[in-house]
Amino acid sequence: MNIFIPLILGIFVGYLLRDRIKFSMDRPMSVALLLLIFFMGVEAGRVEIDAPKLLISSLVFASFTILGSLLIALLGVRE
Amino acid sequence: MSVLYLVISSLLLGMLVGKYTSLEFGNLYELMLYLLIFIIGIDIGKSRGLREELKRLGKMALLLPSATVVGSLIGGLLASILLKVPPKWGLAISAGFGWYSLTGPLLANYSPVYGIIGFLANLTREILTIIFYPLAIKRIPKEKAIVMGGATTMDTTLPLMVKFGGTEITLLAFVHGFILTAIAPFLIPLILQLL
Repeated sequence: MNIFIPLILGIFVGYLLRDRIKFSMDRPMSVALLLLIFFMGVEAGRVEIDAPKLLISSLVFASFTILGSLLIALLGVRE
Repeated sequence: MSVLYLVISSLLLGMLVGKYTSLEFGNLYELMLYLLIFIIGIDIGKSRGLREELKRLGKMALLLPSATVVGSLIGGLLASILLKVPPKWGLAISAGFGWYSLTGPLLANYSPVYGIIGFLANLTREILTIIFYPLAIKRIPKEKAIVMGGATTMDTTLPLMVKFGGTEITLLAFVHGFILTAIAPFLIPLILQLL
């Protein structure tokens, strides 16, 4: 759960400097996001895909789990 | 919309680099993830009315992860029927909720082939979320569309959701991902052992 360290640290820093930080975090977030996605793409590109069947199966599973989640959320969750 | 194009371009460029070069980036991926989470933390910390936001989340914080669990398992079951895969593998693959680095190795303990499918299916879920979340929220509520990302909404897809859905969904997305991240390591082995 290393992810908690930068998050809690960031919240702490943000809270302490809330009156001094006047600029939007939008731009630094966009830059970091694009770099993260680039590196994720690199990781994905390194996976050897020999069988198209594996790819199709993965795509079907991914699509169905996303659609299933969306369907239940839309039908079952009321705000 | 231009950011979406940049996101997709960045992903495709990364995949090309990964496939056709042997460039090593070390642990830059993790470092970038931590940097992003840190920036998001600053954004949360400096925003006012955090307490009101947490109160506002209310039951949604529990209902959305429940919808993701039920929906993912139903989706996995239907996919396994369509692909003629034994249901227990379909359920185990879908119980990863996008956490490919966990699902792949866990399933590979039992079957290398399903380990690869588990890895790719959950990686694909993350990629599809990156591509389709910005489009989905044009038609469905941005809070409910969080379920697309599964467990990844607490880390890798969180910045994207904040970027396109707005800072107000940060906590909801994080809590959603956090709950699923806590469930997945227990649910996958449970499914494999019980079924």
